[in-house]
Amino acid sequence: MFQGVDPRSSIPLYAQIAERIRLAIANGTLSSAASLPSVRQLAAELRINPATVTQAYRELEEQGFVEIRHGAGTFVRELAPGRRARERAQHAAALVRKLLAEARRAGVPLAELQRALESELGVKST
Amino acid sequence: MSNAIEIERLSYRAGKTFAIEDLDLHVPTGSIYGFLGPNGSGKTTTIRLILGLLRARAGRITVLGDAMPAQHARVLAHVGYVPEQPHLDATLTVQELIDFQAAFYPRWDQARAAELVSRFELDAGQLFGRLSKGQKAKLMMLLALAQCGDLLVLDEPTDGLDPVVRRDILSALLAYVSERSATIFISSHLVHELERVCDWVAVMDNGRLIIESPMETFKRGIKRLTVSGAPRELRDAPFRMLRRESENGAGESWVVANWEPGMLAYVQGLGAVVNDVIDLDLEDGFVELLRSFRGSAAGRTTP
Repeated sequence: MFQGVDPRSSIPLYAQIAERIRLAIANGTLSSAASLPSVRQLAAELRINPATVTQAYRELEEQGFVEIRHGAGTFVRELAPGRRARERAQHAAALVRKLLAEARRAGVPLAELQRALESELGVKST
Repeated sequence: MSNAIEIERLSYRAGKTFAIEDLDLHVPTGSIYGFLGPNGSGKTTTIRLILGLLRARAGRITVLGDAMPAQHARVLAHVGYVPEQPHLDATLTVQELIDFQAAFYPRWDQARAAELVSRFELDAGQLFGRLSKGQKAKLMMLLALAQCGDLLVLDEPTDGLDPVVRRDILSALLAYVSERSATIFISSHLVHELERVCDWVAVMDNGRLIIESPMETFKRGIKRLTVSGAPRELRDAPFRMLRRESENGAGESWVVANWEPGMLAYVQGLGAVVNDVIDLDLEDGFVELLRSFRGSAAGRTTP
């Protein structure tokens, strides 16, 4: 779930971790009532500051994705219908924004990008 | 007590060549504070001043709420220290060194020490002088952790060690932080390691502090911009220009600190076009800061 979390990125680590967990909830890897790793465990696994993990969990709690039960752990909440799909759509939009920025930086024109996308998807362009 | 370490207007002189001038430092309680700087920048000297091992000429040092060096006995009972060079008696065994250290600290955690001996795979009967560099570093960390201090001061605890040993030491440190809300002050050259764990960062060069900032704020604010059509003189720039170079062809490359997305409007207001804004990591930011600082210290003008 946390593969590719990058401390060198300008996106703060806590935000990257929260994003991974939101995505895992959105695509069903983490179902309702699933428990997240303990702060200590995840900090050790990623070799990061425990405060960073705590910050990620707090953000997820504020957004209504998880519930922090003190002494017991952090658990995925029951989500309103449609929320998972909305979350996935947001993630898809973010991926496209990233792709467009990369293309612009590399000087790839939009039309060529679109053609490449269609050919990768196996869509025949008319 | 909001700061575990507080230094105000500290000055210190060693011989004629090296001096620390007007140093201010604030290490928030509960933070993991990364202290960066090239060799000879004054990191170890600052650490020795914090611990009362050196006397300042002027200024104020407060550690865990008490004045240093006046209250050193009380303060040091709550401070774990890993020095740059292991300084233990080579003729004592690992267990003897642990017992010796334990006698000085009323809060000594026997169970943690035993657990770390096995986790670090140390041989309790081995003489200190016979330990490898990595084993020595592990023992030093063990001694610092088992005394259960509220503050750990670590002077390059993992520099020059292999990655396996570095991970073991870092994991033990993070486990300690998870259990106790201790403050960690850590100096290192291993920028990527600090980038992983620290929530505060300070950079020192030539006896002066160049920056002290939350890690996130620092990283968010440091960018490389490619710009074209900017005037030579920038009036009232809301960011700090670290470097400005013309690139081959048209544009210029800027490295800036304290950048915020809203500042694009300022650059556009100059009639310039920003073609790209590129993120820098801590290492790039560190190098650019040093370069800029040295450039201005040498009397050259930075635009």
